[in-house]
Amino acid sequence: MTRRRLWKSIACALLCLFAVNQTVHAEPYLAVQKGLKCSTCHRADSGGGQRTAYGNVFAQTELAARTLDMGDLWTGDIGRYFAVGGDIRGGWNRLDVPRQESSSDTELEEFLAYVEIKPFPKYLTLYVDARLRPDDPEIREQYARLTFPDGKWTLQGGEFFLPYGLRIQDDDAFIRQVSGINFNTPDTGWQLGFEEGKWSAQLAVTRGTAGGPEVDSGKQYSLRVSHVTPKWRVGGSFNFNDASVGDRQMQNVFGGIRTGPIAWLAEIDYIIDDGTPTGKRRSWASLIEANYGYRKGHNLKVSFEWFDPDDDVSNDERNRSSIVWEYSPIQFLQTRFGYRVYNGIPQNAAQNREQLFVELHVYF
Amino acid sequence: MRLVTIILLGLVLAGCSAGSGKGLDISGRPLSEGGDVPLAATLASIQANVFNPSCIVCHSGASAPLGLRLDAASSFTALVGISSSQDSSFRLVAPGDPDASYLIKKLEGSAAEGAQMPLGGPPIPQATIDFVRQWITDGAAPDSGAPADLPPTVVSLTPAPDSRRTDLPTQVAVGFDQDIDASTVNDLTFTLLRSGGDGQFDNGDDVPIAPASVALSPTNARLALMDLTGVAAVEDRYRITLRGSGANVIMGASGVALDGEFVGSFPSGDGLEGGDFVAQFEVQSLQASLESIQANIFAPSCASSGCHSGPAGPNLPTGMDLTSADASFASLVDVPSIQMPMTSRVTAGNADGSYLIQKLEGTAAVGSRMPLGGPFLDQSTIDVIRAWIDGGAVR
Repeated sequence: MTRRRLWKSIACALLCLFAVNQTVHAEPYLAVQKGLKCSTCHRADSGGGQRTAYGNVFAQTELAARTLDMGDLWTGDIGRYFAVGGDIRGGWNRLDVPRQESSSDTELEEFLAYVEIKPFPKYLTLYVDARLRPDDPEIREQYARLTFPDGKWTLQGGEFFLPYGLRIQDDDAFIRQVSGINFNTPDTGWQLGFEEGKWSAQLAVTRGTAGGPEVDSGKQYSLRVSHVTPKWRVGGSFNFNDASVGDRQMQNVFGGIRTGPIAWLAEIDYIIDDGTPTGKRRSWASLIEANYGYRKGHNLKVSFEWFDPDDDVSNDERNRSSIVWEYSPIQFLQTRFGYRVYNGIPQNAAQNREQLFVELHVYF
Repeated sequence: MRLVTIILLGLVLAGCSAGSGKGLDISGRPLSEGGDVPLAATLASIQANVFNPSCIVCHSGASAPLGLRLDAASSFTALVGISSSQDSSFRLVAPGDPDASYLIKKLEGSAAEGAQMPLGGPPIPQATIDFVRQWITDGAAPDSGAPADLPPTVVSLTPAPDSRRTDLPTQVAVGFDQDIDASTVNDLTFTLLRSGGDGQFDNGDDVPIAPASVALSPTNARLALMDLTGVAAVEDRYRITLRGSGANVIMGASGVALDGEFVGSFPSGDGLEGGDFVAQFEVQSLQASLESIQANIFAPSCASSGCHSGPAGPNLPTGMDLTSADASFASLVDVPSIQMPMTSRVTAGNADGSYLIQKLEGTAAVGSRMPLGGPFLDQSTIDVIRAWIDGGAVR
């Protein structure tokens, strides 16, 4: 990496994190807006998946423009020993790729169902996260989780999403796509979690096959640490995948800050891959997102992402810009209207596409 | 403060602009690494025009999704002849059979599980996929053969080793890792036997099969073909042999004999010249018996992919356990449907009143037609199941 390119990358990261004081795209912005940890609203310490009782109540009373009186608020709990939840997403999507005919489609994207069984409430949880698309039933997460009596430490074993960076919903974001840690790539193993005060940390040891079968004796080690205050947060992740085909090492810093009605998110990742056809390859991916909650139930999300596939190759960078209006008219319902522009090298048409989408999201 | 913020944000966006692409190929790699390759039905071209620009941003490195790496060094061995981890009844690339190749299903968006690839990106144009189809039809050969002084090895076989079929294939296709001497591919070096009905070989009753032809593909020097056109299909176990030892052997273009020892995974060989390649498959036509239906329908179409995979219980789809003939009998015959409790899944002697038939024919009032997402069974196949039910659905 040349000194100039190094400075460019660092500048992008720092500006994302501190100078601009504004953020990115996906659900972590809600945590930043409210100064809460991911685990306040989600069962998983690093976010995503089933909502907690607080997360459900928040979604009904704070997220929606108007809360219809439907009696008692839904918490997800069914008695003392069970909890359920779900996310249903569908929508319309149009793609414009240079030199190709435009395409559009309407589909039910996914139905995610969450089930939590608590044979010993507070101490032992059995959790399943399943994708129930009509043509695609699939278990995404399934694990048992033990919470120690002090409530600070947890140990979970099974198949789960790895702790790494901001767990944003958009798997196509460069930081999630390039890192390979997203909602399509659960891994099997163990995770130790720690939650106390402003600190949150997770350490996972897993197969390192991104959902595939075990193929070697090497393991993947994931560490995520974050410090959360009411107004800002900062964190870092480290991941090392010891694989016979060539190791992968990833590290990132991420953070968020609230400035008035705007919640900012940012993350920058540095990835080193061994064993590529051209030897060791270093790449960068970053994201910055601003969420403007200008009125209750409304959020205007503007994000910018940047990706350098190979630090040793010039002129190959890509970026992606999005503007999305999220509107939650009533509880359990959210609509999203978005426009996204991809920019890459001109000889690759797919890297220079535009996307227009409308999404309907029902959740409980 | 707001002005400063805007200026800083502008600097970020300006500094993180997209690359000009100057000096790069379509995949964003320097032209010095090989440059653009015209689209053609070869692995090198598919690598350059499909895998590199569209797939390896995810499918590369130690953390490739599902462990599937599609970089140039890995794509051939990761794809050809390898079972899909999402649907083990398919191989990712089945040489000679693009319709049975999971790669094609994922690219065309017809796979039963998971999203169309590239994930989140624009689909690969069908005209480009057609080149991938053609490469598979031609035998899915690698491009860079082994060094000339190394013995050739077998890298793929269609029909798959130890597979069970309802009919005899029209051809046997064998892929090699390097160009083969066409004069060494003949009915002495590439043979097919059936066991004589007892499932055992080398006990005196084996029946040699006389194919219509045995030859190297005229368009692909790494693909040997045995044409079985006109050969009567007999239910039996069949054994394919490619000679690497003895007087008549298959040799690479450089004159080195086949390294053929096969222990169930490709490529063949023990690293030394010589050794026969031996693999078997079975032909068993569909019959109106539970054993036959189990082997030919329930096991490959229903119990795969973690669907009706047991253990038996009240939860669908796994709880309707179709993993063995015993399990299927226990799950089906005179067992009320969960979706339609008033109807038995199989009502012995009454196919029309059996929910299984309604689900297979797509007439059930609840849920989707099975197998979920297709391809659906043709009516003649369903009629065999009907016959088994009407015959009393005996175990």
